[in-house]
Amino acid sequence: MRNFQHFNPASLAQATTTLSSKPDAWVIAGGIDLLGEMKNGIIQPGTLVNLKTLPNLDYIKFSESDGLRIGAMATLAKIEAHPDIRKHFTVLSQAAHSVATPQIRNVGTLGGNLCQRPRCWYYRNPAFHCLKKGGKECFSVSGENKYNAILGGGPVFIVHPSDCAPALISLGAEVTVAGPRGKRSMPLEKFFILPTENPLRENRLQAGEVVTEVHVPPFHDAGSSSSAHRSVYLKVKERGAWDFALASAAVSMETNAGMCRSVRVVLGGVAPIPWRCPQAEKTCMGKQIDEALAAEAGKASLAQAVPLGKNDYKVEMAANLIKRALLMCSASSASPR
Amino acid sequence: MKQRRKIRKQKAHIAFVLNGEPCEVAFAPHKTLLEVLREDLNLTGTKHGCELGECGTCAVLLDGKPVLSCLVLGLDAEGREVTTVEGMQLPEGRLHPLQETFADLGAAQCGYCTPGFLLTALELLAKNPKPTREEIAQALSGNLCRCTGYIKIYEAVELAAAHMRGEKAEVAEEVVYGLKS
Amino acid sequence: MIPSAVAEIAGFCMQVTRTRDPPKSGRITATKPYPVHLMKNGSSKHLEVVGKPFRKVDASAKVTGQTKFADDIVLPRMLYCKILRSHVPHALIRKIDTSKAVAMPGVVAVITGKSLPIPYGILPVSQDEHALCLDKVRMIGDPVAAVAAIDEDAAFEAMNAIEVEYDPLPVISSIQDALRSPGSAHMDDNPSRTGGPQLAGENKEAWRIHGYGDHGNVHKMVALEFGDVEEGFKQADLIREDVFFYEGNTHLPMEQHAAVAQVDGDGKLCLWSSTQTPHYVHRALAKVLEMPASRIRVIATPNGGGFGGKSDPFPHEMIVSKLALLTGRPVKVTLTREEVFYCHRGRHPVLMWVKTGAKKDGAITAMHFRSFLDGGAYGSYGVASTYYTGALQTVTYKIPNYKFEGVRVFTNKPPCGPKRGHGTPQPRYALEVHLDKIAEQLRLDPVAIRKNHLVEPYSLTSNYLRVGSMGLAACIDKVVTASDFKNKFRNLPYGKGIGLACASYLSGAGLPIYWNHMPHSGVQLRLDRQGGVCVMCGSIDIGQGSDSVLAYIIAEVLGIDPFDIRVLTADTDLTPVDLGSYSSRVTLMTGNAALEAAERARDLLIRAVSEKMNIPATRLSLSGGRLFDVENPETSISFAEAVQIAEARFGTIGTVGSYTPPPSAGKYKGAGVGPSPAYSYDAAVAEVEVDPRTGIVRVERIWIAHDIGRAINPALTLGQVEGSVYMGLGEALMEEMSYRTNRNVVHKFPSLLEYKSPTTLEMCDVKTFLIEDPDPNGPFGAKEVGQGPLLPVPPAIANAVYDAVQVRIDEVPITPDKVLSAIQKRDEKQEDEGESANGGGTGITRGVEEPHRYGPKSVPEVDWPEPVRVKPPWDGGTGKEILREAVHARE
Repeated sequence: MRNFQHFNPASLAQATTTLSSKPDAWVIAGGIDLLGEMKNGIIQPGTLVNLKTLPNLDYIKFSESDGLRIGAMATLAKIEAHPDIRKHFTVLSQAAHSVATPQIRNVGTLGGNLCQRPRCWYYRNPAFHCLKKGGKECFSVSGENKYNAILGGGPVFIVHPSDCAPALISLGAEVTVAGPRGKRSMPLEKFFILPTENPLRENRLQAGEVVTEVHVPPFHDAGSSSSAHRSVYLKVKERGAWDFALASAAVSMETNAGMCRSVRVVLGGVAPIPWRCPQAEKTCMGKQIDEALAAEAGKASLAQAVPLGKNDYKVEMAANLIKRALLMCSASSASPR
Repeated sequence: MKQRRKIRKQKAHIAFVLNGEPCEVAFAPHKTLLEVLREDLNLTGTKHGCELGECGTCAVLLDGKPVLSCLVLGLDAEGREVTTVEGMQLPEGRLHPLQETFADLGAAQCGYCTPGFLLTALELLAKNPKPTREEIAQALSGNLCRCTGYIKIYEAVELAAAHMRGEKAEVAEEVVYGLKS
Repeated sequence: MIPSAVAEIAGFCMQVTRTRDPPKSGRITATKPYPVHLMKNGSSKHLEVVGKPFRKVDASAKVTGQTKFADDIVLPRMLYCKILRSHVPHALIRKIDTSKAVAMPGVVAVITGKSLPIPYGILPVSQDEHALCLDKVRMIGDPVAAVAAIDEDAAFEAMNAIEVEYDPLPVISSIQDALRSPGSAHMDDNPSRTGGPQLAGENKEAWRIHGYGDHGNVHKMVALEFGDVEEGFKQADLIREDVFFYEGNTHLPMEQHAAVAQVDGDGKLCLWSSTQTPHYVHRALAKVLEMPASRIRVIATPNGGGFGGKSDPFPHEMIVSKLALLTGRPVKVTLTREEVFYCHRGRHPVLMWVKTGAKKDGAITAMHFRSFLDGGAYGSYGVASTYYTGALQTVTYKIPNYKFEGVRVFTNKPPCGPKRGHGTPQPRYALEVHLDKIAEQLRLDPVAIRKNHLVEPYSLTSNYLRVGSMGLAACIDKVVTASDFKNKFRNLPYGKGIGLACASYLSGAGLPIYWNHMPHSGVQLRLDRQGGVCVMCGSIDIGQGSDSVLAYIIAEVLGIDPFDIRVLTADTDLTPVDLGSYSSRVTLMTGNAALEAAERARDLLIRAVSEKMNIPATRLSLSGGRLFDVENPETSISFAEAVQIAEARFGTIGTVGSYTPPPSAGKYKGAGVGPSPAYSYDAAVAEVEVDPRTGIVRVERIWIAHDIGRAINPALTLGQVEGSVYMGLGEALMEEMSYRTNRNVVHKFPSLLEYKSPTTLEMCDVKTFLIEDPDPNGPFGAKEVGQGPLLPVPPAIANAVYDAVQVRIDEVPITPDKVLSAIQKRDEKQEDEGESANGGGTGITRGVEEPHRYGPKSVPEVDWPEPVRVKPPWDGGTGKEILREAVHARE
């Protein structure tokens, strides 16, 4: 790892000003992904702007009226263990728990998890000047693409590595970012961008901007006795620890008297962004979910999939995950909410 | 790619609590906690297997939580509490119950991953004095061991947990002699 | 010794041990009565240390972080070394420009291949490596230049400032390409199919990775025939052929290789290195540095895991030594994890074809085995590995006629070498799955087909391996009973399965790497007048507990506490030669050497005390730190007093012991690989769950029984069994040393994240039985345990997967995509009845419906050399080749 200047800003404003004024300044939160990239020689920051010493960025607040608010510096360990999240936003606690290892979750932050860079072998190897790094070619197209995208790919075929992002999008979360010109919020779904928009980046953060908060709105019918909200995160990985998703599915569903009243289905590990599946949602809306319907929803979501040659397996895997997650969310045996 | 600025090397200077004692150290600011511990403080009990957060060998406790010292900057230790394997021993040089059982059962073969396992297990037992085998496996899932197949490590953690609860637990015969039938 | 005397000693010993303080590892409270061991001289001994689960002598140091591994060494004014490695797989080096690097701040020295021009290699027949490549690189990761600088950052920056120009050469990336490349005897008309860049002109030499070897990129071809396989096939009721592939994988020790070199004021060099073979590093350094070996000292530091991966002399060891000599300052190198992947020397990818003839009862009449090894860019142990893929098939089940043909090729990938089981897990996997298929075809129980045809104990095999104690039947019984195999086999619900496999492994190679008549292991023992005992031996503890084994054995003989012994190992200046921690040789060989040294010391003490106290020597015994009169136990002196009496009588008390394996029975060319003083045996049953929708295999439990001969320390033995099962599980299910198919055979991603090894969450439950039937060649009857228990695991899992989902996965690792692909093909076929019944198989016995399978369909055509023919022992053979016998007869 090469030398850099380490800067502890006194305030968020100072952090964003520094970030926007120094072109080689990078923000460091938990540092898990950033230090890895620096050690691998993918990036060489001149300055690191440390967010860890800023106060009041690691909160987790929940109320029935306001929903859930998580500061960007909250660790994944804190999120997975938080009783309100476990109770009301199962999908998020499961997603946070599925990340890497216990030691990494003790340090890794929500903001870092949302903004981490892709794991594509070619991107991570400094010997390959790939499209993602400003080169001319996405080597995965003709090369090793076992872990690459089957949906939304082109010209870059990375998959977004975050587990928390699909979970939060399934919960309808919005994200707040702060920059030199102040704060702005947007649905988390809109935060991520496809490579067609910009092959070098995965999100809409502008120079000097950092993620500060994620807000999950409350459920509108909270308290109604016949309604239930359930959510689940399913992730297939090669090993129980460390691994990124081969494919994952986040489903959040409200049912009323057994009927699907609203549902969001989001896939991870299959596209350059967390991949919302409107086809699946449409298939389920207003219906009682059974095996056949869930399978149909899964299949419909993958109809547009274009495998690259070594990642065909992801098509069926993702469809199955959607099916299983939908069935789990609609199962009447599970306790409501 | 961003242009790297020419920077003059300047050591950073921090104070923190290391194994229960105050500690001050100066080091190049880009060093990780792992490097500071091993190179600037000569505490070589903390090992490294990849320096990329992919093996768990370098785990230490930071404010009581296991973290990978290869992915924590030395600067981040400022004002905090760090515990390494050297800090596990009890007064008068006695071994910690975990160290005793790891030694007795052969949970340390080559011994290279052992400090990381010990510290991670230490935190597990601090928050969960009677973990199930599944809970132990989950807690230790971020530590790779290539020698033991983890079995002796589980058995050592279970036995140490019993000792730490004050139980007079003994080693089951099959743990050290194998099964009879 | 007459039985009544034995009984008396027995009673006496029991008495003594009752009064004795508990051992220092007294926290272990599970105890068993001391077994009696019949010693070689006919006396018997109650074992007080051997067979007990003592703590390792270095355990406390390891759990407190005090053990000094190579990278933990820091010396004053030490420089740091970084090695520039090739980023192209095969090229000529046109130019290396180090001028920028030399001029950088903090840089003290920069060297290239010119500084170290002498080749070396672990085997005398493959001296094909250079510390830094001279004119050609053969793989990505080949070392090209090295820097010594005042700190790691400066060394890193300077390394990156070295400029190298390469002229690319065609790239050989597979067994098939290597066999077909121009210049090979098997080349075809279209060299471009190897995928490498086209060269201007047809320069056949350009395709050749090395200028030596059999031809082209064929490193080594071997062919051996014992008995007459064609005749054997004629007697068979069933002949079956199968093809298997075992993917390469790597050791992945948690400790990266590291070394520190220092030159003292007299110009003597000292190298500390994380190596399993300090003796061979010592040899290689003397050769490469052109220095007398007497001026070089190699100290092997405790290895943070080895598994065979630290058994070769490595470039970084030569480089830091040279840099220390050039700069006069200590130099350290610690490899990155990525560099460890390039050092490799791991499991060879092996393609295998096996044809077996069997009688209706499963008795094998003949076996013909072919193996194709992808050797990577250098020779390493490869010639031995090639023979090993054909050597140990014969030591489990009777094979009266046996033919083996093997070929190893060079490819532009990191070199393969010895990994735990060296060359034998691949054929063992093939053999045990093949046998399961034969059993099914013959409608025989997989237990019976194995157990009814076992090699006899104390017999010679068709390839002249001398089998000693043989506990495989007992092993099979234990695991079959404990797992309830007979009730579960073919009776579990779809998706659940159970499988059985057996195996055997060496307790040390019978022949040394450099053929000579000297001992393989030497031990020196020094007793001092205050009762101290110091043992010195060249062996290196790689975590298996070899230091402890020395202490246990000496403590047993001298009747003292093992923790009172100072163990000094693996230092070429201070310790006698031991060949190294490889081939599962250390317990048996250093154990026997230690036993000899200890018995000699014991005899000196007893003789001196006998003279002094006027008690017959036969009545004196050492136990509990004292020397007793057996018939009069209250007459005793302390161990230290005994040493003082002996020292007064004989002078300084020092003894030596050494061990040389018995001569091997085979005398034919190629007989050097396979013989061993003793063979361990294993049987394993795996119970698995296979998700037919995802193909994911989860191993729930493995029952394993290991024939250890005698466990010197049962707790450490169990640790080796469990660790072997773990490593076998990883190889069976996920571990792959694989390469990017385009982009010039870059390793897929040389990292611990992408090289999948099992975490706690993948590891299965292990139920272990130790079978103890002492082998006369082992110390106290002990045989090996470090490697053998790995071998049955992959085939047991493969057989269980078949039992679970009725598809055969004839390729390791058994990854979800392979399982799923086979299941899908089977289901498609069942829907379409028109298709032929065969699952796209391998030329199996005709007319029988074969289960669907995933795996290679064929092996390449090769012009095998005429085999070395040897008559089996039961056919009047003498162990020599037939031709040689005939010539001899005419003389």
